[in-house]
Amino acid sequence: MSSPALEARFQVEVGLGADAFQLQVDLTLPLGVLVLYGPSGAGKSLSLTALAGLTPLQSGRVVVAGQVFDDVAGGSRVETRHRQLGYVPQHNALFPFCDVEQNIAFGLPRGERRKGNPAIEELMQEVGVAGLRAAHPASLSGGERQRVALARALAVQPQLLLLDEPFAFIDPRGRKDLREVLRRSLHSRGISAVLVTHSRDEALAMGDCVALYERGRTLRSGPAGEVLADQD
Amino acid sequence: MDAAFPVTLSLQTAALALALVTPLGLGLAWLQARRSYPLRSAVDALILLPLVLPPSVVGYFLVVLFGRRGLLGQWLEQILDIRLIFSPAAAVIASALVALPLLVKTAQPAIEAVPLELEHVGSSLGLTSVQVFFRITMPMAWPGIAAAMVLAFARAIGEFGATLMFAGNVPGRTNTMPIEIFAAYQRGDDSRAMLYVAILTVISCLVVFVAARLGPVRTQR
Repeated sequence: MSSPALEARFQVEVGLGADAFQLQVDLTLPLGVLVLYGPSGAGKSLSLTALAGLTPLQSGRVVVAGQVFDDVAGGSRVETRHRQLGYVPQHNALFPFCDVEQNIAFGLPRGERRKGNPAIEELMQEVGVAGLRAAHPASLSGGERQRVALARALAVQPQLLLLDEPFAFIDPRGRKDLREVLRRSLHSRGISAVLVTHSRDEALAMGDCVALYERGRTLRSGPAGEVLADQD
Repeated sequence: MDAAFPVTLSLQTAALALALVTPLGLGLAWLQARRSYPLRSAVDALILLPLVLPPSVVGYFLVVLFGRRGLLGQWLEQILDIRLIFSPAAAVIASALVALPLLVKTAQPAIEAVPLELEHVGSSLGLTSVQVFFRITMPMAWPGIAAAMVLAFARAIGEFGATLMFAGNVPGRTNTMPIEIFAAYQRGDDSRAMLYVAILTVISCLVVFVAARLGPVRTQR
């Protein structure tokens, strides 16, 4: 039997004194999409940066597809750049000094970053931004930016996607389209994703599993329908 | 004496000082902008010191350090046969030192303004810290970094006090434009002093114009 896509149990503390915020997390995802659901300020985005290795853990472990990324007790830690995770932040997701094509190719080795790379061409087609290849981020809509950021994350062949509020700032039609694109891309590659949202509808629409957050900890997690049954 | 020499020497000195101080200054600006460590405030104060100390005091410290009987100067002369004091290289070091705080303190906010998320994305895409700096931070902060370099160049080309103490006024060797203005004025050679005053004024005006044109880059939300 293959290893779960994600097993993480950790504690993180950020800030000092009165501003200190402590996060206690317990996440498991066998396969598919894990939605981190809860109100703003509950620690969902911080969990993503911790999974990516961008925020150091105070204690605990993070294991992705059987590979130990963090083990504080064991003293092991894999650097972010070696984790092979596709991270898409909520804000400032794209490089403003690059056009769409350059943004998508950003993480590739120098030789593969040339214009007209067939792999990038294919990705642009897949996420529906082929017509925008020369456009700069400032001229894109929220949905288009998210598609480009998704394509850039997929370009480096990640083993897990980390998406922070990918549907925020997108109109309902765009949201539906992006959900389709995301589902298709994950399915065709057989990769899993951790997705942050504070929208119950998004959580139900996208999540195979849901982790419910409240004030810096995961209250419970499990199949989306069960966890969200009593949530309005 | 050749009227062009102080101009050429000043331009060369300022350019070399800029080449010397830019990597160090940008490294320090990045360190202060992006890392928190126990001695951060002390390093900050040390960076600012050449800006707040009188230039003659900075020059005196340089003499104490690099003079023939100085802590490092002695060693440099005995081991490597290099004598810095009263040399054009001394003018470069003095100019670089006084330009350092201006470069760091102008570049630092530009680096701080680069959204951390973009650097995080870079790391997640497999970039090393050095690659993140050169491929993300630097292009994003470029207008501020360029302004910092322009201001540092201006400070270096106008440097007088520390240069006079450390490099002296050796005609045909260390007489940069500011030193030549002082020497010509003392001799009563007003026309020669005015020539370099005019050149330095034009350069300073150009610098202010260029620095003002370099605006911050826009990021999207």
